[in-house]
Amino acid sequence: MKLGPISLAVVVCLLLAMPWLVSGSFLNAAIQMLIAALFAMAFGLLCGRAGMLSFGHAAYFGVGAFAAVHAMNAFGGEGLLPTPLLPLVGAGTGLVSGLVAGYFSTKRTGVYFAMITLALAELLHALAPHMKAMFGGEAGVSSFRMPAWGFSFGSITEVYFLTLAWTLLSIAALYLFSKTPLGSLALGLRENAHRLRFLGYNTHALGTLIFAVSAMFAGIAGALQSLNIEAANYVVLESHISTAVVLNSFIGGVRVFLGPAIGGAVMTFFGHVTSDLTRVWLLYQGIIFVLVMMFMPRGIVGEIVDRFSAPTRAGILRLLGDICLRLGAVAVAAIGAIFLIEFLQRLLSNEYRANVAAAGWPDITLFSMDWSPLSIQPWGFGLGLMAVGIALVVTINRRLAARKEAEA
Amino acid sequence: MSDPILSLQDVHKSFGEAHIIRGATLNVMAGERHAVIGPNGAGKSTLFHLCSGQFAPSKGKILLQGNSIGGLKPAEVNRRGLARSFQITNIFPGVSVRENLRLAVMRKHNLQFVFWRSAARLRVVNEEVDELLEKIRLSARGSDLASQLSYSEQRSLEIGMTLASDPKVILLDEPMAGMSHEETDYTSGLIREITQGRTLLIVEHDMSVVFSLAHRISVLVYGEIIATGTPDEIRGNARVKEAYLGEEAA
Repeated sequence: MKLGPISLAVVVCLLLAMPWLVSGSFLNAAIQMLIAALFAMAFGLLCGRAGMLSFGHAAYFGVGAFAAVHAMNAFGGEGLLPTPLLPLVGAGTGLVSGLVAGYFSTKRTGVYFAMITLALAELLHALAPHMKAMFGGEAGVSSFRMPAWGFSFGSITEVYFLTLAWTLLSIAALYLFSKTPLGSLALGLRENAHRLRFLGYNTHALGTLIFAVSAMFAGIAGALQSLNIEAANYVVLESHISTAVVLNSFIGGVRVFLGPAIGGAVMTFFGHVTSDLTRVWLLYQGIIFVLVMMFMPRGIVGEIVDRFSAPTRAGILRLLGDICLRLGAVAVAAIGAIFLIEFLQRLLSNEYRANVAAAGWPDITLFSMDWSPLSIQPWGFGLGLMAVGIALVVTINRRLAARKEAEA
Repeated sequence: MSDPILSLQDVHKSFGEAHIIRGATLNVMAGERHAVIGPNGAGKSTLFHLCSGQFAPSKGKILLQGNSIGGLKPAEVNRRGLARSFQITNIFPGVSVRENLRLAVMRKHNLQFVFWRSAARLRVVNEEVDELLEKIRLSARGSDLASQLSYSEQRSLEIGMTLASDPKVILLDEPMAGMSHEETDYTSGLIREITQGRTLLIVEHDMSVVFSLAHRISVLVYGEIIATGTPDEIRGNARVKEAYLGEEAA
């Protein structure tokens, strides 16, 4: 498909032009999106390609982050390790810790593997507050980016380009890795490790190495985060970081190459936007995950790749039409659902309950209108829109299925 | 057929109380097609697991070309020249047929921890994969997912993967299980072709296949080899008739 290289070039150009296209606060979000994308890609190698679901990838992200901060302080951004090369420290420590942790965790597979990774990460998280010299206690460890190679690294634009360069390089390296013998053996591990053993391969060593490579790229992502915020705190070792990378990767599509990156970037962007708009943005994130897993188990990118795998002009136009129809219907249901959730959130908030005690049941302002919680309007509006939207989705799906059947 | 290439000497295997293999002795000669038959539960699969490294024998010796392989890991046994197929289709379902064979061939060329070369550009590997595809008559299906192959095609692929390491000894565990008559004939021909110049040890329930394919047959009953001989000798053996073949041979 010729579309691939062209769209890739367009995306890279857009990324390069980003500092001139968006404001400073968004550029900051873009840096976090890149870091989340790289972290998710590292996880995707392990989980999507090699079929090992790690619940403790925050450990290697965190190890990379702390190593980079300590290296920043030790070298002052000069000598052997100028600022732009600091992610190498993250890579090195990620690789080494991945080798050690991978040696133990890849002795088992499936659920037991996941449990070991979780246990190792929690172990580190529990130890971190007690190791003040290493992890800086409550305050964390902070540092400063030093100028190097003629860049001051004082402006957010320079940090953005540094992050972009490392992210693109790392993703390119991951792509090339997937094409090597070791990379294709990762697929073999996922598909049938038992058979691989009887073909003469050392599956434990293979698993350990792939785990270590994945941890290495997670370490680079962690180091980039330290460079960005000029600090590291042991909260980066918390389990919600491990969970987020799992969710992001699966939402994007863990088995397609760029799926995790896009999942990571999209969900970070989503968090950036919605955390300003609503207090319950984590709930929305959870709902999105559940819906994607229920209706698009291959993830967003996986679904797109699957549907556009054999494109013809007429086919693409029709597919786009179908998708627009479905999106429209889903949007109607989503507006209803968002209304209900926001209404409930306000109704159940402590402030409102205090108001109820003082002044009965005052109106709630939502979508620039006042709604009385005791009347039928808000409930009817929310539930009604949701019902209409879901009915539309069901009808469209039936129609499309009938058309498909008629053609077959 | 001079020296045994694979030799089991008084091999025992117990799982707790269950004594499955009770002193099996078996010599497989270089270049022969040797079949193991026996009633269900006789221990045929266990015997294969012992030879291929899945299980370690509780007692006794297993020699491959004079060297002990009893208790070695599956990967090590494979590296010494013994490859096996499985009773249940055991392939990499989610990747292409070509990739299945590529994974199998790479090991022979010591491509395991290699991350500085492109797998798709390894000329020797590609050539061997093409040869194998032709041998197992799946050239036209190289880019299809292995899971999309028909049952007998998957069995062929399985045999192809077993061949990939260019083993001296091949163990095939019920390669015809669940096949129709046509598929059985087809696979039987395929096995004849690919075992030229190699040694074959095969477990199979289809007696017409066993008696036409094998040079020699061993009969395993309750964990013991009660007879070994040419198809004619086995047909005429009274103990075998009594223990197993019964009316089938009559």
